[in-house]
Amino acid sequence: MGFIVGVSAVLGLALVLVPVLGGDFLAWQIGLYLLYGVAAQGVGLAWGRGGFLPLGNAVFFGLAAYGAAMVLRATDGALMVNLLAMLGIAAVLAAMAWGLAALVFHGRSDSGPFFSLITLALALIVAQLAETNPAITGGFNGYAGFPPLAGLDPFGMLYYAIVALVVAVTAALMLLDRLPAGLVLRGLVAQEGRLQLLGFATNRVKAWAFAGAAFITALAGALFASHQGIVTPQATGFVLSAELVIWAAVGGRLHPLGALFGAVAIGLLSAELRDTLPWWEVLVALIFLVVVLLAPGGVAELLAQGARRLGWRHRGGRTAPGSAPPSRAEMASGALRLEDVHLRAGSVQILKGLSVACPETGILCVIGPNGAGKTTMLKAITGAMRVQSGRITLGSRDITGAPPHAALSAGIGRKMQIPTVFRGLSVTENLQLAALAGRARAADFLRPAALGWCTPALSRLLHHPGVPLAGLGGQDAGSLPQGHRQLLELALTLAPEPRIVLLDEPTAGMSPEETALMVELIRDYQAQSGAFVLVIEHDMALVAALEARVLVLHQGRALAEGTLDAIRADPAVAAVYAGGAK
Amino acid sequence: METALLIGLNAAWQIAALALLALGLAIVFGLLRILNMAHGEFVMLGAYSHVLTAQMGLPPVMALVVCLGFVGLAALLVERLVVRHLYDRMFDSLLATWALSILMREAVELVWGRSFRNVPLPIEGVTQIGSTGYPTYRLLVIALIVGFFVLLWLWYRRSLTGVRLRAMVSNPSLARTAGINTARLSAMAFVTGCLCAGLAGLVLAPVLAIEPNMGLDALIRSFFALVVGGLGTLEGLGIGVAVVGGLQAGLSAAVSQTAGYLGVLVLAIIFLWRRPDGLYRRR
Repeated sequence: MGFIVGVSAVLGLALVLVPVLGGDFLAWQIGLYLLYGVAAQGVGLAWGRGGFLPLGNAVFFGLAAYGAAMVLRATDGALMVNLLAMLGIAAVLAAMAWGLAALVFHGRSDSGPFFSLITLALALIVAQLAETNPAITGGFNGYAGFPPLAGLDPFGMLYYAIVALVVAVTAALMLLDRLPAGLVLRGLVAQEGRLQLLGFATNRVKAWAFAGAAFITALAGALFASHQGIVTPQATGFVLSAELVIWAAVGGRLHPLGALFGAVAIGLLSAELRDTLPWWEVLVALIFLVVVLLAPGGVAELLAQGARRLGWRHRGGRTAPGSAPPSRAEMASGALRLEDVHLRAGSVQILKGLSVACPETGILCVIGPNGAGKTTMLKAITGAMRVQSGRITLGSRDITGAPPHAALSAGIGRKMQIPTVFRGLSVTENLQLAALAGRARAADFLRPAALGWCTPALSRLLHHPGVPLAGLGGQDAGSLPQGHRQLLELALTLAPEPRIVLLDEPTAGMSPEETALMVELIRDYQAQSGAFVLVIEHDMALVAALEARVLVLHQGRALAEGTLDAIRADPAVAAVYAGGAK
Repeated sequence: METALLIGLNAAWQIAALALLALGLAIVFGLLRILNMAHGEFVMLGAYSHVLTAQMGLPPVMALVVCLGFVGLAALLVERLVVRHLYDRMFDSLLATWALSILMREAVELVWGRSFRNVPLPIEGVTQIGSTGYPTYRLLVIALIVGFFVLLWLWYRRSLTGVRLRAMVSNPSLARTAGINTARLSAMAFVTGCLCAGLAGLVLAPVLAIEPNMGLDALIRSFFALVVGGLGTLEGLGIGVAVVGGLQAGLSAAVSQTAGYLGVLVLAIIFLWRRPDGLYRRR
């Protein structure tokens, strides 16, 4: 917290000194690029923290500028009315951004080109509408004839209002990184699939990131109107949109100060050099391309890497531990049933009428030759793949076709065949995210205390003498060896205390000692929670160690079910394994 | 009757032009899984080939040769220096080609300035169909485009290179073990896609306003047509341009240009939201 206050104070002081040392005209110039910088911070938020690239963010800048200009003209610059109106405009634009992102990202888990192109098209449309409706917007000539905010002189006092906005937005963005909400956003970029399995509707997480981006950009646009005294269609267009992306990329999208300084530095240099060096714009585009190819984090990330190499490490403030509220996943009840499930992927029919009635508690091992449909069965249960027909129920609830993020609140936790952990986040941060899963309510995402949550299942697991995770806190989860990664993913899966646990080859790539530990942890969790645990496994020794019932899948159907001894004696199973049954 | 014929011809023109514009984007996306954000800029380079030809003092007929050389060289450079490193990295390739598009726009603006340019129609005059007159150049272009697509489809289905390409699309690593030089094939596919874009710019230049920012509109319209039809197949391209081109022509005739543009946008958003795979699916 002290770090944020310190940085904000230094930033504010430095900016306040600009008019004193450099004169009012320089302050006016820098004021413009500071506003662009705040808009670029908005792009940085969506791109760096939301993982998707908005190519048309000037829409929010320009619309807010037009809106603010109209309010200023109507109210003759009265301070309070205008401040409220500006906040209102920004809020409305943020709500529209939220809706758009939630809609477009619904039901898909990529951040690909689709959304970027929609935002780009929106920028084109809005700019065209602004040009072709001169009665409302003043058309090409722009919308003018309104007083600045509260009569503040654009070459004088208005600069300080801009500085206040810059400091407030920068501090807020830095604060966001310390909050659970910021952690969720970083988890989204690192590993969207796992975040969904932790119960987060990632389309809504992205929508919040985009809404935040729109809000910040709109505030900058609203002040832009007062600063310039005129609003033209260019303020909404794709040229500015593209520049915002360039500034955020070159300055560094991952750091609030990166985008800001990117905009101010490139903007000021452009203003100086555009006329004297004809190839300046080409050079900027070239720098952008080189940054994209060689230094994707921009200048800020290069500086941060350098600082880390010199041994300067920013220690995240330690949050006092506290006990977490109950998880929605542990409230669920009832047994998992699959009835005549058919699932096709492309031209391959994988599940052909699979029916399984799981017990309400206990452990069930699923075995079967490659291609039997074991992993696909889990994907069907968690909604990662759509079933063509049949029903999947949990107690009295029909969960057929429910989206992946709904699985957790239905009581289902799933561990993947290839462990998915949040790479780039520390082990501690991975566990913090898992402790939020299924427990955090909306307000908790803004409470730093929620980062200190301990959950019973997680504590038991971490305190087990064989589990090394507690000592690895600061390490990047992506750099863990396979065995540790398996354990971490198990911890992520069990932290919300699901009633139904689906484990897909949990001991793959593990040493015999680690395998024994995994068996012990699974049995311990099952015994403690009374949950139902389904384990896909190839290793018969492990199946025996789990002392579980066994279900054999073959060609998309259930072939046999019973105790391990009964399965071993079953001639149909032996035939499937072609004499390979041990 | 006359207006119906005129509207039909206009729709055919819109659809054919859009199909030509979108083809390069579809090739690069379908074969390489790269959304080439600089696609429109290759269209722009194709259109500027006319300007370049005139500056070099060559007769207008030579524009085709200039276009192939100019755009081909640019595409080859781009593939070597940028795109080659980004296969299988969709998000990075999106951003890099976006950066590239800005670079190309700025470079063209530096060389030829920001002002609009016009290219005279190579074939003046109007052809009478019944009692309706329609520009001869447009009729010719429609016929050329239809012929070009038929040949392309036959080539893709029948030729050895077509088989190799389809092998590469369905399983790149298996194609490599089968002795197919996928690096060269990818480079060829990218350059071919860009050449198609350049040819579209060359052919449509007389009916477009030529300026450094013209590529953006080409990109957006091509992309949305492909989204509606289904990205990455010739069949999807056909359906997509028919729907989008038809809708735009219809709304433009019935209401206004802006309405046509808005209609396409709304349709594209609906598809991105409900049917991201488009209308046409493989098998």
